[in-house]
Amino acid sequence: MAETVDIHALAGAYALDAVDDLERAAFDRHLRECGACTVEVAELRETASWLTHAVAAPPPPRLRDAVLAEIGRTAQERPKRGAVGGGRSQRSRLLRWTVGAVAAAVLAVGVGVGTWTVAQNGVQQENARIDAVLAASDARLVSSEMAGGRVTLIVSPSRNAAVAVLDGLSDPGADKDYQLWMIGDTARGVGVIPGGTGRKYINGLAPSFGVTKEREGGADKPTEPLVGQIKL
Amino acid sequence: MSDMRPEYEELPTQRLVAVPTPQRRVDADELLSRVARGDERAFAELYDLLSPRVYGLIRRVLRDPAQSEEVAQEVMVEVWRNAGRFDGTRGSATAWVFTIAHRRAVDRVRAEQASNDRAQRVAASSVDTPYDDVVEAATARIEQQQVRRCLDGLTDLQREAITLAYYNGNSYREVADLLGAALPTIKTRMRDGLIRMRDCLGVAF
Ligand SMILES: [Zn+2]
Repeated sequence: MAETVDIHALAGAYALDAVDDLERAAFDRHLRECGACTVEVAELRETASWLTHAVAAPPPPRLRDAVLAEIGRTAQERPKRGAVGGGRSQRSRLLRWTVGAVAAAVLAVGVGVGTWTVAQNGVQQENARIDAVLAASDARLVSSEMAGGRVTLIVSPSRNAAVAVLDGLSDPGADKDYQLWMIGDTARGVGVIPGGTGRKYINGLAPSFGVTKEREGGADKPTEPLVGQIKL
Repeated sequence: MSDMRPEYEELPTQRLVAVPTPQRRVDADELLSRVARGDERAFAELYDLLSPRVYGLIRRVLRDPAQSEEVAQEVMVEVWRNAGRFDGTRGSATAWVFTIAHRRAVDRVRAEQASNDRAQRVAASSVDTPYDDVVEAATARIEQQQVRRCLDGLTDLQREAITLAYYNGNSYREVADLLGAALPTIKTRMRDGLIRMRDCLGVAF
């Protein structure tokens, strides 16, 4: 339906407050049922907020006095259920922020809109696993160019897990996919990514990580030369 | 078996520093959580951290210093009132604050447009306040440069569409009119332009 297509496209204008009240209400409704747009709007708002750096200007000192006086006599709203309240420890907040930053890095290496949109189906569990890796205090990034694009691994030894992000690798060709391997004494297939962009949660680490092009759906073991390899 | 195994030659790998979290962002997030618990001192710190960008943004949209001050006050008080409702899983504290600030500024502009006295007022007021605190400016410069660099990486149409909406408070319909482009084009440019900026800024995290 044309309207449905249309409404996704509104995410940018919505994030910039460039919609009218009716469109905003429609998009708010849409957000309640569209996870892809919810994620996208959050990212685009985060992006838009950077634009404030270019226009920063110190307010008159009297504004500070006025604001501080007013909050002194203004009651606070009770936290919404599920919102971040006072109960969380410092540590978990800091941790969460590290997560945010790693997540930003993951997004930055190219999980594009297409991925979010396509990925919706049944990916929530995978996303939760990915979040857990990103949240690990020992999570670190390793990255390498491959096949005209970039592959980044977020590795957490304590969780014995990783997240692989493929960004813009060249088309693997007809009837082919990229297959991911954890390589020790043998190569263990840990996922297949059709096309050159996508991400994958990987359970179980090995000394090395590699990528090959394999027949669609993947092979039991590598049958083609590695397009790239990353030492963990 | 092993004869089938391809050769795993080593490729050059690039080790990245483990996630340098922008310090200021952590600060804002941490401060907002204390604000949510009614900590007025934390609020004052948060105010000092964010008010130049809150006020600067509002002033950029509204142009009028007196009104900007008024709206900035409303925004900061709203931050205080609703701090407990901030959900950190959906973005950073700074983005949350600027989302509120931008929305309030745009609401005011639209209300003004409806009352139709904006044109004269804008013409009568000066626009730019120089950023005159040296220390803050030095800290902010890196981020400013990064934003400018990323804006420069957009196509002209993407950049115009985004800045007209964000800095001037124009709706995408108005932007389409101003740029003489089709509505769907402008919608798309706003979105793909922001996505390109997101990727550009994200690289630096
Ligand atoms: Zn959607």
